[in-house]
This record gives sequence, C-alpha cells and structure tokens, in this order.
Amino acid sequence: MTTLRTALTGYLRYRGREGQYSFLLHRLTGLGTLLFLVIHIIDMAAFYWSPEFFQDALELYRLPIFQLGEIALVFAVFYHGANGLRIAVVDMFLPHQWAINAQRNAARWTLVITLLLWLPAALYMGYRIFNPEFSLF
Amino acid sequence: MAATTTRRVDIPQNYETISWKWMRYSGILMIPLVWVHVILQDVIVGVHAMDAAYVASRWGVLFWQVYDILLLGFTFAHGVNGLRQVLRDYIHRPDYLRWINIGLLIFWAVISFIGAFAIVNATNSVLFQ
Repeated sequence: MTTLRTALTGYLRYRGREGQYSFLLHRLTGLGTLLFLVIHIIDMAAFYWSPEFFQDALELYRLPIFQLGEIALVFAVFYHGANGLRIAVVDMFLPHQWAINAQRNAARWTLVITLLLWLPAALYMGYRIFNPEFSLF
Repeated sequence: MAATTTRRVDIPQNYETISWKWMRYSGILMIPLVWVHVILQDVIVGVHAMDAAYVASRWGVLFWQVYDILLLGFTFAHGVNGLRQVLRDYIHRPDYLRWINIGLLIFWAVISFIGAFAIVNATNSVLFQ
C-alpha cells in the first residue's frame, strides 16, 4: 500500500513534463481499454453462451452514458496505439532517438496525431448520440 | 570532444525479455488490426445499427471469424501482460507477485477460451438465423 501511495503522490509531484505525461496517459488508456476489453469479450461471447445476456448488454451500450464512454474508449485506443508505436519503433529500430528533446517533440506530435484522428470520430459519434438514425455511410 | 565509452550488456533471453519484445511486436501489429476494428464498428457502424443479425452476418464469414480470433488473441494477451507489468511497479513482494502471475495466467486462459470458443461456434448459436 505504501508503495502505491508513494507512486501516486510521486505522479502528482514529479515534474517530468512530456515524458511523464505520456507515460501516465499510456498507462491510463491501457488500463481503461483492458477494462472494457474484458467486458467486451464476455458480452460478445454471450452471443453463443447466453443470448439474453447478449441482448441486455446491447441495450446497455445504447444508453447515452455508455456512448460517451465509447467516445472516450476511441480516444484511449488511438492514443495508446500512437504512443505505443512511438515507443516500439524507437526502442527497436531507432534507440539513438531516446534523447530528451527529440522525445519531448515526439510526445507532443503523438498527441496531435491522436487528436486529429479522434476529433472527427468524436464529433460524428457525439452527433449520433442525439440522432441515432444518422449515418454518413 | 569527449571520449566515448562503450559497455557490453548481455541481455538474458528469459521470460521478461520475450515479454518486452512481445509487447512491442504485438503492439505494432495491433495498430492496423485494432484501429480498423474500432473505426469500422464504433465509428462507421455504431451501436444503434448493431443487433444479433449484424453479428451473425459477420461471424457467418470465415474471414471475420479469423479476424476476430486474432483480435482477441493479440489484444487480450497484450492487455493482461501489460496489467502484470503495471502491478509489478507497485507490488514488490516475490510471494505476492507469484500469486498475481498465477492468477493472471488463469484469468487470461479462461477469458480467452470463453471468447474464442464463442467465435468458433458462433454458427451454432440460437441467435444465428
């Protein structure tokens, strides 16, 4: 418990700028996506195991609060992927790029790319909360 | 100009090294795999257009069954291993970590089986018309 408290207060007090914020965001988006993933595997497995549960889960996901959560989930998936790509590529192919200024820039670009991908999706999904019949496709 | 010192490091080929590589290789592979899934299902189709008939129309096609099995296998193994790495940052007692590893392994195996079995046998579901 003390280790956890030290870690959490450290996250708030340590001023690690871009590197620390991307570490925190990577961790939070990863854990959040995993939480939904577990639920999602079970609700989709219910298509076979328990049709009633499958239908109930679908009804639940249509509630506006779950659709808001879905928009947040899309952000989490985009950010975790973009930031994970930065980490994986630099770790495995460009280790000399692990320099503080290069990575501060890369971390900012990661967020910009995420927002460019996410904002149109979020607007579209947000509009659909109020207009469920709306579709561009 | 400062002299450069080089240092040789022998990386042990143990479970942690494999896990470290796994997180990176699977992560790169999952960018097309997961992003296509999310853009297609969450953004383009959307939950209001989804029902049992929609799921049946996908799981009646071998391509999407294989796609979803890959999705399940890669994302869930990556996610549970990630959770294990996060927990290792806050919990240091070896006996606790041992039980966490065993617990996560069982959790991963059970959930993966439930999901994969459902995809493989989807056409036997009563929802499959």
